[in-house]
Amino acid sequence: MIEWKKRSKRYQLGLLSFAFLTLLLGNSAWAGEGAHEMSGVGLLRGIGIAASLIGIVGLILVQFTYRARLPRGTYHWLLLVGLFILPITATTSTALTVLEGTKAVDACASCHVMKPFVEDLKNPHSASLASRHYRNSWIAKDQCYACHVTYGVNGTIEGKRDGFRHWLYYVTNTYQEPVKYAGSYPNSNCLNCHAETPKWQRVKSHRALSNDLTTDRVACIACHGPPHPLPHERKFGNPSNSIHFQEANDER
Amino acid sequence: MTDASGNNNELSRRDILRVMGVAAGMASLSSLPGCGNIWERQAVIPVENWHKGVCRFCGTGCGMMIGVSNQKVVNVKGDESAHNKGRLCIKGLMNREILYTKDRLLYPLIRKNGTLQRATWDEAMELVAKQFRQAIDQFGPDSVAFYGSGQLYTQESYTANKLFKAGIGTNNVDGNPRLCMASAAAGYTSVYGKDEPAGCYEDIDHAGCFFITGSNTLECHPILWERIRDRKRRYPETFIMVVDPRRTFTARHADLHLSIIPGTDVALYNAMIHEFIRNDFIDTDMVENYLSFQEGKAKKSFEDLKQHVAEYSPKKVAMICGVTERDIQEAAYQFASSDATMSLWTMGLNQQVQGTAANRLVNAMHLLTGHFGRPGATPFSITGQPNACGGVRDTGSLAHALPNGRVVKNPKHRQEMEDLWKVPRGRISPKPGFHAVKLFEAMNRGDIKCCLVMCTNPGHTMPNSGHYRKGMEKTFLVVADSFHPTETTRFADVVLPAALWVEKEGVTGNAERRYHHYPKVVDPPGEARNDLSILVELADRLGYKELISARTPRDVWEEWRKISAHSKYNFEGITYDRLLTERGILWPCPSEDHPGTPRRYLPGKDPMAHGSGRFDFYGKPDGRATIWLHHQEDPLDPYTEEFPMIFNTGRILEHWHSMTITGQVEQLKPLHPDYLEIYWRDAHHLGIEEGTQVLVRSRRGEVELRARLSDVVRPGMVFATMHSAQHLVNFATHDVYDPFSKQPAFKRCAVSVRPKSV
Repeated sequence: MIEWKKRSKRYQLGLLSFAFLTLLLGNSAWAGEGAHEMSGVGLLRGIGIAASLIGIVGLILVQFTYRARLPRGTYHWLLLVGLFILPITATTSTALTVLEGTKAVDACASCHVMKPFVEDLKNPHSASLASRHYRNSWIAKDQCYACHVTYGVNGTIEGKRDGFRHWLYYVTNTYQEPVKYAGSYPNSNCLNCHAETPKWQRVKSHRALSNDLTTDRVACIACHGPPHPLPHERKFGNPSNSIHFQEANDER
Repeated sequence: MTDASGNNNELSRRDILRVMGVAAGMASLSSLPGCGNIWERQAVIPVENWHKGVCRFCGTGCGMMIGVSNQKVVNVKGDESAHNKGRLCIKGLMNREILYTKDRLLYPLIRKNGTLQRATWDEAMELVAKQFRQAIDQFGPDSVAFYGSGQLYTQESYTANKLFKAGIGTNNVDGNPRLCMASAAAGYTSVYGKDEPAGCYEDIDHAGCFFITGSNTLECHPILWERIRDRKRRYPETFIMVVDPRRTFTARHADLHLSIIPGTDVALYNAMIHEFIRNDFIDTDMVENYLSFQEGKAKKSFEDLKQHVAEYSPKKVAMICGVTERDIQEAAYQFASSDATMSLWTMGLNQQVQGTAANRLVNAMHLLTGHFGRPGATPFSITGQPNACGGVRDTGSLAHALPNGRVVKNPKHRQEMEDLWKVPRGRISPKPGFHAVKLFEAMNRGDIKCCLVMCTNPGHTMPNSGHYRKGMEKTFLVVADSFHPTETTRFADVVLPAALWVEKEGVTGNAERRYHHYPKVVDPPGEARNDLSILVELADRLGYKELISARTPRDVWEEWRKISAHSKYNFEGITYDRLLTERGILWPCPSEDHPGTPRRYLPGKDPMAHGSGRFDFYGKPDGRATIWLHHQEDPLDPYTEEFPMIFNTGRILEHWHSMTITGQVEQLKPLHPDYLEIYWRDAHHLGIEEGTQVLVRSRRGEVELRARLSDVVRPGMVFATMHSAQHLVNFATHDVYDPFSKQPAFKRCAVSVRPKSV
């Protein structure tokens, strides 16, 4: 009995130091990627990594090193943690990491077909809706997602299906350039921010078209677009894209 | 794999293949109607076919794709490949509704016993032909007239012009562009020798300074305004100046707003030229080599101009215009010192008694400072209607004009047209016909027995319209319109149902000299027919079958483009096939491989220009553009104690002209344009409360409107829109006109305003 108590203290110490080391490792790995603040995605990623590492190392230790010395009850609890709780935590965290991480502009930018859009977004002399919202910080972060809100955890099934279709076309290289938006863009993406303001509500044309706008029979971008460079304004298929329609204006 | 009890627990290879097959099948189903939603978003309004076309409304001429399903226009969207980059304004979007409003006229009407009754086309056209033939035989060709429109297709205006001038032999061919763009046309022709702007919309993308004068661009040419805004969004240091008596939505975006007293433009521009000279912003190369100076019929020099504008110091003009000296100096400085200045103007300048003078002076400001012919540097007159340029100005469908800049008074021009139209010499009358105001005056007198009115509403839009309605009643009036009733059809003896927009095919020319094509995508309702076929049938019945040999839009175009090759308005290279495939082409365009001309008068860039100098003003015999000297004149409708206030008229974004097209559109109906903007302090003095009925009375008539207290107008000035038929502002407006262009002055007259006593 006394031996087990001494051993349990050692186990506790061992487990604690192991957890601490894992956190340290995870922390440095995360810090090494240059994250300067605790973002939601970073936290989720950290939890996922920590849960995975603790789970793997812990299971190995429990099963192969300490099994004989563990009381049966403890062993089964540890298995529960290692085989169900930690894996669920890890998978949930990674899923959320992806769903949240894909909201970032850099995530959209990772496909080269999006290059003209992201370059335009960051172009200080572009007049597109995207670049103006970006340049004036009207949207604080995750600018692509802010208007294309069907992605993410709270997004629609439609968004997941679209994402799947985009991925499928992309990896099989069967997409048609210039890419075009399918169907009617949901005005709610614009109206959620804009329709609340008195400035918007005062405009006669908005009042006249309020029905058409809420049912997407008329698009906000019909009058206020284009949101992105037009198809003929993008150079496509070429990794080193540039927004050529802006160049003429730069020679003033 | 089966387990001990014989159950199959895992997916076999066959199962996997089955699942993949189902997935592939589902994906392929997406092409079936109704199943598309499984794979891809579907449009809210399904469209079978999209057709390339153009908007029915303003002079911007936005390219649009027209969506047709089940033989109906169900949707429109901006054409991304056209100059408007896929943008449309609310009127543009409502194009999809206008064909289906309830006031469409479906069959011909003949007035019998005082009321308009349904008739057949045969009956109606026979009656029209008979009346015209009788009048011509009994009273001569000048007893009949054609009053056309900047909204007819080019082929239609061209045919009407040819029929009346080279067939019937009268120059009584005029139209509503007389009320809209005549001063701009007179301005351009007297300065450059040729009509139409030298620049194009693309100049907006390069300007460093915008001088917007007499234009509420945001409401009246919203897509051009959006392009101007884009320029500012890209380069925030771009300077926008607005000259407008009212603090319009456009003016609210300006970096400098000069709220001048209506009708004082000449003084303002003279003051700005005064400043250019004083601050050494004159382009001496221009003055020495490319400009000439004139006042009336007298030749002048630059020194004369200097002396002339010495009277117009900013200090003095500030009093005349009701602005500050500093603002005038600032405006002049910004205009002259920017990299590239672009002026834009429309009715504020044109609908004045000194409209031509104002136009000439804006052009002069550009020429004197050298802001001309470079990207972003150009004086650009914005056209109001979709086809005033291509259809009426370029075809010469005006009382004094002949095609491609020719004039009736010039015997050489008449001979040229007689030869081109293959009619005997002497067929075209040497006497200019009646311009709009004179035409309706002649109807009052009984000198015009028959008049064909197409695609316009003079009963509503003529200034002092009460006076001219008697004449319309008296005359045998034939009105072709898509809608009934209107303020003109109510006086008609025959009303002919006309096709609207894409119910007929044709070509128009927008403000930037772009000729573009409208397809026919649906059939007109009822028995309505396109205006070209109406003119062709009239020509046949009057015996001019051989003259009007071109009878389809394509054939008329072929004839017209070949005729243009004999002038500096040469667009022979704009073939019908090119129009079908391209998003319009800017003329001059002399050959089929020519891409079109963004900027005119530049040797090497403009195919009509010669030499190697900076400019070739080939419209003038000496190759120099003319700077005209003008003095500010006093208003012709004097302000007295009885009529102390200035009455200004204009438009709003959501409605078009006399509202026959937009008035019954569901989305636009709730927007009532029958208000009177009155400065709050004036309202207070007159005892007028917000929303109450007021009477605006002039020396000619009165109109009842609903008071809207605001600070948009200047003190002492009131504003109303021209749109409402139930509240016709033209009962009060003044039919005085510009002596050069004959364009009436809608923008200013003297009125009294008082609450309507209950």
